[in-house]
Amino acid sequence: MRELEEFRRVARDPYTYAESLKKETGRPIIGSFCSYAPEEIVVAAGAVPFRIFGTRENITRADAHLQAYACSLARGSLEEALAGKLKFLDGTIFPHTCDTIQRLSDIWRLNAGIPLHWDVVLPVKLNTESARDYLAGVISKFRRDMETGLGVEIGEDALIEAVALFNRIRGNLNTLYEMRRKSPGLIDAGDLHAVVKSSMVMDRRDLAAKLEALVEALRRTEPRDVDGLHRLFLAGGVCSHPEIYSLLEESGGVTVWDDLCTGTRYFEGLIAESGDPVAAIADRYAIRAACPAKHASLVSRGDHLIRAVRESRARGVIFLFLKFCDPHAFDYPYLKSSLDEAGVPSMVLEVEEQLPPEGQLRTRLETFVSLL
Amino acid sequence: MIAAGIDIGSITTKAVLLSEEGILGSHVRFTGYNAEQAGRTVLDELAAQLGLKRKDIRRIISTGYGRRSLDFADRALTEIICHGAGAFYQNSGIRCIIDIGGQDSKVILLDETGKVKDFVMNDKCAAGTGRFLEVMARALEVDLEAFPVLAVKATSPARISNLCTVFAESEVISLIAKGTPREEIVAGIHQAIAQRVVALARRIGVREPVTMTGGVARNSGLVSEIERELSLPIIENPLPQVNGALGAAVLGLRMG
Repeated sequence: MRELEEFRRVARDPYTYAESLKKETGRPIIGSFCSYAPEEIVVAAGAVPFRIFGTRENITRADAHLQAYACSLARGSLEEALAGKLKFLDGTIFPHTCDTIQRLSDIWRLNAGIPLHWDVVLPVKLNTESARDYLAGVISKFRRDMETGLGVEIGEDALIEAVALFNRIRGNLNTLYEMRRKSPGLIDAGDLHAVVKSSMVMDRRDLAAKLEALVEALRRTEPRDVDGLHRLFLAGGVCSHPEIYSLLEESGGVTVWDDLCTGTRYFEGLIAESGDPVAAIADRYAIRAACPAKHASLVSRGDHLIRAVRESRARGVIFLFLKFCDPHAFDYPYLKSSLDEAGVPSMVLEVEEQLPPEGQLRTRLETFVSLL
Repeated sequence: MIAAGIDIGSITTKAVLLSEEGILGSHVRFTGYNAEQAGRTVLDELAAQLGLKRKDIRRIISTGYGRRSLDFADRALTEIICHGAGAFYQNSGIRCIIDIGGQDSKVILLDETGKVKDFVMNDKCAAGTGRFLEVMARALEVDLEAFPVLAVKATSPARISNLCTVFAESEVISLIAKGTPREEIVAGIHQAIAQRVVALARRIGVREPVTMTGGVARNSGLVSEIERELSLPIIENPLPQVNGALGAAVLGLRMG
């Protein structure tokens, strides 16, 4: 499908895309690590938010700064920076999420050689009244810091426009996910992964139009027959291994929904387009299902997962974790027992910058799918 | 009817021929470089031993890491499913299987019908596997078969703390240099593997009764160490090494 080509190309090589975008438009490219980076502010400042994904190469430079039991996202991203592959970045945003990203922020500031640097120190609880006010304050401060850093003024109109743009993007990503949930043969999971990944990288205005075109194209598409495959749900952090989707299909399963940083967590929830835009941005974070590095209540993450699994009519859940990712690992026993109680089978798969040996991976996936 | 199960493992390839009356025979050979060749040969050799022709075999099910390399197999099933079926065929009371193979270890839970209910697999490294024992046997210059005999003689097993195969080997070499008796080192190795595999089992919850499969289950010293670590008896599986191939044959027979 023609509408998918650019997404595939950008997802395969986001660096080349960002470099040429910068060359053509002269706009600053701002790196970030997580879905808690307020991209709306970045876009309102006339810059392009760029999600950093780690590496698929062996890590040799980052080990001088980070212990081997830090996650591969932190180690791999530092590796890419130290190898000079992120030179196109004008700055980096570090939202306060897990401990590793906090420490990486300092190491990055000192060693990555990227001129601008912002820490966005979010509260741990996001949904209390005081946290909402605090969060809005943090986002306002980030807006001012970004103005100073980039030497621009972020006007109210630009912010309101950016919010509307992100609502368009997130709405369309959600539509794509819903279309695939209804008919998983409509678009390959690997392609959908490429769409979400590119959405974190591309010029957002251009992206919004391309997403709309893709939705339209898919409405006219006849889905591939996937009736024999078991519906699966992926839960976890960052998925940097799209080949997992085809391995799953060969094992007899097809993913129909996810709870991933490189999936629904990126686009879940729209921002109110009335009132103060900064407060509205803060509100989306407060309402949205929390990531494991944040806290909403003792049961919210399990409830959210089970609700999403039921809505997706998935038969089983595969937890896809980066090895040594503490927040996800801490939540796992609780999430697994929630699923056990709900009668949903699950398995956990830990990955680093490379997938485990294919033979053993296939054995686990095939066995899991055959149990469903 | 006769069904064959072929289990192509990382170190050895196993075949079992099964009919409604029971097990006709089993055979084990090294896998070597060519998994497809090993699978073909092990079946041909077993059939020849039993005076059977290929056409006498109605179903062939392959399993193990090389399961997809056999184009003549009717179906390829994972070794987890086959070990479950094999252990259940031998003893339908079994609810938990600890399988230590050449390159990974697995813990498998079965339901009342013998179906796999849950499983967990150590695929991070060779520690706590058959390969680990082989490396240790080489460092100690003793035959692997002698491990249980030596372990019984130990009075204070050496502590092997580092369970990465490469580092554990250097740890063992340090113990040798210090003059630690072989039997204490062997017992220490058994203890370390037992702790590792029981930790894996605890992740999914052990259900009684427990059995062990895989070639490593032939090492009685390690089996009793696992019993001690679990505080549970291990029900002996009479055919641990060919259990996966047996399970494949059982599932082949069921296919009709």
